Amino acid sequence: MAHYLVKRSAQILLTLFVFLSLVFFIVNAQPGDVSSFYALNPDIPPETRERMQDLFGVNDPLWKQYLVHVRNTFTGNFGVSFSHYPRTVADIIRERLPRTLALFLTASVISFYLGFALGKIIAWRRGGWTEYTSTIGGVTLYTVFTPWFGLMMIWLFAFRAGWFPIGKFLDPVLWRDAPTDANAIFNRMILSAIVVSIAVFALFAVTAKRRMAHSRLIRIGGLALSALAVAAAWFATGTGYLAWDILKHMILPVATLTLISFAGTMLLTRNSMLETMREDYVMAARAKGLPEKDVRDRHVARNALLPIVTSFVFSLAFAVDGGVIIEQIFSWPGMGQTLVSAALTEDLPLAVGAFVFVGVFVLIAHLAADILYVYLDPRIRY
Amino acid sequence: MHYMTRAGAVRAVDGVTFSVERGQSLGLVGESGCGKSSIAISLLKILPDSARILSGSILLEGVDILPLSEDEMREYRWKRISMVFQAAMNSLDPVYRVGDQIIEALELHVGSAPSEAVERVRELYDLVGLNHSFIPRYPHEYSGGMKQRAIIAMALACEPAIIVADEPTTALDVIVQDRILREMRKVRDALDMSMIYISHDMAVIAEVSDVVGVMYAGRIVEFGETKDVFENPIHPYTRALMSAFPSVTGEKRELATLPGEPPNLLAPPSGCRFHPRCPYATEECRSQPPPTVRRGVHWADCWNPPEDQSP
Repeated sequence: MAHYLVKRSAQILLTLFVFLSLVFFIVNAQPGDVSSFYALNPDIPPETRERMQDLFGVNDPLWKQYLVHVRNTFTGNFGVSFSHYPRTVADIIRERLPRTLALFLTASVISFYLGFALGKIIAWRRGGWTEYTSTIGGVTLYTVFTPWFGLMMIWLFAFRAGWFPIGKFLDPVLWRDAPTDANAIFNRMILSAIVVSIAVFALFAVTAKRRMAHSRLIRIGGLALSALAVAAAWFATGTGYLAWDILKHMILPVATLTLISFAGTMLLTRNSMLETMREDYVMAARAKGLPEKDVRDRHVARNALLPIVTSFVFSLAFAVDGGVIIEQIFSWPGMGQTLVSAALTEDLPLAVGAFVFVGVFVLIAHLAADILYVYLDPRIRY
Repeated sequence: MHYMTRAGAVRAVDGVTFSVERGQSLGLVGESGCGKSSIAISLLKILPDSARILSGSILLEGVDILPLSEDEMREYRWKRISMVFQAAMNSLDPVYRVGDQIIEALELHVGSAPSEAVERVRELYDLVGLNHSFIPRYPHEYSGGMKQRAIIAMALACEPAIIVADEPTTALDVIVQDRILREMRKVRDALDMSMIYISHDMAVIAEVSDVVGVMYAGRIVEFGETKDVFENPIHPYTRALMSAFPSVTGEKRELATLPGEPPNLLAPPSGCRFHPRCPYATEECRSQPPPTVRRGVHWADCWNPPEDQSP
């Protein structure tokens, strides 16, 4: 395993280097530079533009820029954003990445859970109304034109019903007198979510291992209890209303993302289940006299999980670039928006930096999938 | 038992009657596709969705299990009747330790505490000749023969009254096959269990069973004590099967093959189902179902039985 990890890490570095180079040259292939925006501005004389070009080093030959870029990236220096000058790229990404991750990880996990549960049911009971409604509904949502669907969700639930805010990350009026800034609150929110997930995960592991009675009750109770404890902690510190504000802004985009993506997992689960159900060990499990639910969950679903996890982990990787469309529609200040605006304003360091982060996450996710597989499938050893 | 297909009902098992005494072993032999495995899965009622048992009865210790609900049937599965599967290689769930898969059945039916269950698994491993160190290992770490032994250990776990062994040794080489058959026989004698062996291999059946049923096209065409059936076969199909197998001790001879294939059970042949392939077929065979020829407990359905050669 250690040998494998070393080998894979080396591979990852190599892949990252190739990726970096590609991204750099593709981004630099677009005409003009950051100063082109000011070409038509009468207040900025050509001398100023030249000084700007010198400052950002965009007049250097490309190979020199490339060498500087590679050296800087591997030393962890992503440079300074042109359009947010003098903020560094790392600083901007540090602010935007958690927002994107929170949104897309939540949506991915919910849609995975929903898709897996539904796929399990429709594979087991074929031909029922559950199968028809969830398949037709799921596929419709899966193939629907995303911008239209996002706008419809906003129109329906934010504009007409008024249940949720229309886009954005927070409500500026509410935050004017806030004691702390949004990033600090948001980071604490992420920490809370991590604490709750660890608690729930531990509970799942313990109940599954001990095969406890009422395991479902214990799990749901544990989830509710830890969520309550965290909520209580928030309101005790007096910043609960701010966290609630951010949470309220998250609900609609998360719901939209979940609805458009759960059908993928659902159909994959269904097919994987149907394939696994033909296996001999499933017939053996039934012959052993196990209740249907145990056959389905412990034997069929457990084995059907393997290919589904692969697709899930890869989808997580792409959560980093955060669906440009969804972030635009919900005015969510995450990586997707950052990418688009960086590309539009010729902010090359920011664009390249954002791309590099996407690449790093994809590579890490692949490694994570490989490691996860060792735990899911005892046949796999490295 | 019928399979409902788009082309119509396949009558995979049709008018089959047999009984097995306590401690007795019955062999079912026949070509592929003649309904042997269908009988096996019918006995445990683990039929695929397309299969239906339309009529008849399956008596297990005096109880007809056919009308039982799924919940009631679960009580019988494995506890009273268990099975050694045809594809033993794939009958163990690859993601769980083999020991845990046996314990799963024990906890369900015997309700044993974890420590007792582990103790029982040790006993079972001794019984089938597996090393204890393999209990916490995964199926892919077992060899084919070991998997087969583990499967047998699993089938024995709840001390069932009867075990159905569907081609238990087909995928193994002859040496391992022989050892496993011997051990199965030993275990059966020790625990006084009944067994139903299903195989296409005449040699295996001859070795392990007290009584034999020869199946053809969804029916038992000949039935009797193993010695009678093998020494004085009545039905031409049995004789054809016998002559297709080499004898180790007997004289060298050309092996006879049986031309043709078993009939399509969507529309079985009229009269005797074997007549299209039977060298002795007459007009009667084509039109009328054959009568039963009885020689003691030994019987066969045939129009033109050979002379009784038994002393």
